[in-house]
Amino acid sequence: MKLTRTIDENITYLKKKLASEDITFLELTVGAKDAVLIFVNDLISKNEVGELVLRPTTLFKGEPSEEELFNAFLSPEKFKRYDHNEIITDVLLCNAVLLTDGFDFAISFGLKYFEKRAIAEPPTSTVLKGPREGFVESLPVNISLIRRKLKTPDLRFENLSVGKFSNTPVTLCYIDGIADNELVKKLRKKLSAIDIDAVLDASYISKFLGEHKTSIFKQVGNTEKPDILAGKILEGRVAILVDGSPIALTVPYLLIEDFQSPSDYYNSSYSATVARAIRFISGIISLFLPALFVAAELFHLQLIPLSFLLTIVNSIKGIPLSPSYEMFLTLLIFEILNEASVRMPRYVGMVVSIVGGLVLGETAVTAGIISAPTLMIVALSGICLYTVPELEQTFSVLRLLFLIIAGSGGGYGLLVSIAMFIIYLISFENYSTPLCAPFSSLIKEDLKDTIYKGFIEEHEFRPKSIKSKNKKRMNIKKDKEIN
Amino acid sequence: MNYALKTRQVCLFIIAFLPLSKLFVLPSVLAKIANEDLWLCTVLSLLLDFISLSAVLYACKKADTDFFGLLRANFGKVGEVIVLVLFLIYFTFKAINPLTEQNEYVKLTLYTLMPTLLYFLPFFIVCFYLCTKKLRILGRAADIMWLATIIGVTILFAMSISNADFSAILPIGARGFNAIIKGSYKSLNWFGDSAYLLFFIGNFKYKKRDYIKILCSFLIHAVIVTSFVIIFYSIFTSIAYRQRFALTEISKYTVVINNMGRFDYVGIMLILLSNMFSLSLPLYFSCKILNRLFNFKRVFIAPIIVVSIQVIIMVFLNENIAGFISIIQDYGGFYFLIVGNILPVFSALLKPKEKIYANQAN
Repeated sequence: MKLTRTIDENITYLKKKLASEDITFLELTVGAKDAVLIFVNDLISKNEVGELVLRPTTLFKGEPSEEELFNAFLSPEKFKRYDHNEIITDVLLCNAVLLTDGFDFAISFGLKYFEKRAIAEPPTSTVLKGPREGFVESLPVNISLIRRKLKTPDLRFENLSVGKFSNTPVTLCYIDGIADNELVKKLRKKLSAIDIDAVLDASYISKFLGEHKTSIFKQVGNTEKPDILAGKILEGRVAILVDGSPIALTVPYLLIEDFQSPSDYYNSSYSATVARAIRFISGIISLFLPALFVAAELFHLQLIPLSFLLTIVNSIKGIPLSPSYEMFLTLLIFEILNEASVRMPRYVGMVVSIVGGLVLGETAVTAGIISAPTLMIVALSGICLYTVPELEQTFSVLRLLFLIIAGSGGGYGLLVSIAMFIIYLISFENYSTPLCAPFSSLIKEDLKDTIYKGFIEEHEFRPKSIKSKNKKRMNIKKDKEIN
Repeated sequence: MNYALKTRQVCLFIIAFLPLSKLFVLPSVLAKIANEDLWLCTVLSLLLDFISLSAVLYACKKADTDFFGLLRANFGKVGEVIVLVLFLIYFTFKAINPLTEQNEYVKLTLYTLMPTLLYFLPFFIVCFYLCTKKLRILGRAADIMWLATIIGVTILFAMSISNADFSAILPIGARGFNAIIKGSYKSLNWFGDSAYLLFFIGNFKYKKRDYIKILCSFLIHAVIVTSFVIIFYSIFTSIAYRQRFALTEISKYTVVINNMGRFDYVGIMLILLSNMFSLSLPLYFSCKILNRLFNFKRVFIAPIIVVSIQVIIMVFLNENIAGFISIIQDYGGFYFLIVGNILPVFSALLKPKEKIYANQAN
């Protein structure tokens, strides 16, 4: 609905729509004209409103023209608004809006101000070397963090709003000339099509962006670090930033991303390769070790070396539970402890870890309820799980599933489930990108940033796994030999 | 044109999946027939496969559409149906032997305390799942599984080669030409793999020198199989025919087992994992044929039919399957030879679709 030139009509309508008591309608005069400044209490910078909006209004004498009015305000972020709905949206986005009698437009000032968390190192991706700044819950701050990393006119931010009640600002971020246009178009369309009450975190958006709604694997990458996000954007990915969330989403997502750590890029290639290999092996151990142990104990004793077998036999003597139930129970206790320690206040969580890990485990073994090898296997599997924190939730579910299969079907059952798992993974595509790339489909050139972390000269081209318009990312000049 | 496969995937497919089913019972069967000349039987069968594969590659080179399209263009609808039915029967019977071997292997080697078919039946879930997937996924599977095959075979070779006395395969040709021919004839069921590659025609972009890459992969496969039977016979010599499952037996004398337990099972497990894909191949291509013949709207109908037939055979012939297989081997040899080796050779004579239509237009 368009604004009229009569301020009373406009204000009556807007007061009806913005009836909440936290919204202020400040009456003032602009020269000889009546005016109203609308804003949400405590969400604007009152100093700036005073300096940049209210002070100029006192300088008018008589009736100002449209141009004089608009140019009088010094606020760097000001827009003309002609529609009631635009005004309502602006007010709710914490802008201050000035309506003046006799004019069919309002002026919206971007003067929002609210308490923000300080930029700090994100707890999910700490590094020994490298930048320590992380995203916060404020979208403008996050945008500025990215802009500081990529000072190029090709860096694009596209603003959208998602959520019927939350009207959450969501920003698409990519580099024009690198990101695939089709992907950007598809994401834009997907984001615009989201019809939800509110977006309270980026994870809400990620659920809508996945192309397989029931998948156990995540389909959208995420990071809390601007340096990592910049790196991903430079590879041709598109990022999605959500106001109120310190997590930036990236599309397309490859499974191998979760085995990469920020520190890999700041350390030497040798140590990064070793670290990645450890992560990869740990992931496999965490997923399959409990199942393999149970299968061997129940069905394939020949797999276990004799001396180890004797140790196991001695330790399981008198244990009332079968190996599979015993392992299942221990894993379940581990998951309960894990869940409790995450939810509890940090200092209580430490107590739970000590009570659960040491007292409960030790007592259970001494009491003969569970055997020491089982406890050790679960502990090892649990520790290994946290070398790949991004896959922790997925792997802990799969680990239980494999355990149940191994306990009932033995080693061959486990192999069957692994084969199913492999077929599932290799058939999985998101935004036309195979989840398991560059292993399957095998892309030889991209293997340089997988388990093996190549030297800087080897990253001359952007990954082929991700569609991008500009393939080359650096020019390698070979130094002439000095004799 | 968007191709389902890449040449690399075809090469890895050959290395990853083709050698595996030949590593279970085939060595002992050949040892029984040809003793120290078992490897010559293998070489002869591989040579037949090499010839038919070369012909298929020639067909790939000039094809402008897939195998089905070529059949339709060259023989019309009726001719296409007849050829496809021949292949359907071939794949159905070709699947029985390796599936039975695998079932026995699982029962007698992995589940010695409770040998029952029930432990093997879940394999058909994998098979069904794979059969519902497109050719692209088979290529991707090859991209990953070749590593499992190579590591598995390397572990077994490394653990067994020190016990081999290679003089056991001498003198060459001691059992005579007849034994070699007989062994090769009996083993036709395990070979004839170029029939699979017919279904790759038109599904990958054939580039110059691709035939060298693909034939080299076939040679790697041939080296794996031949080395395996030679090492196997060199370890067990005259009692080789009693070692039913060569895969498990080949490394059992290694000293590592005394110290580390059956470490060779790491290799065996990797081979078993890869073999799940390999065992599914005849059923997979049967599904492709059924889909072509009946044009099923739903992707799971053909896999249900194909897998159900094999499950029924396995369940109903559970105890008598050995007799059934020996009938297939004794009387079905010629059929396997014709469809598995000779028909693929004729694929080289198929004219490209464009050429036929151009001739018709003129």
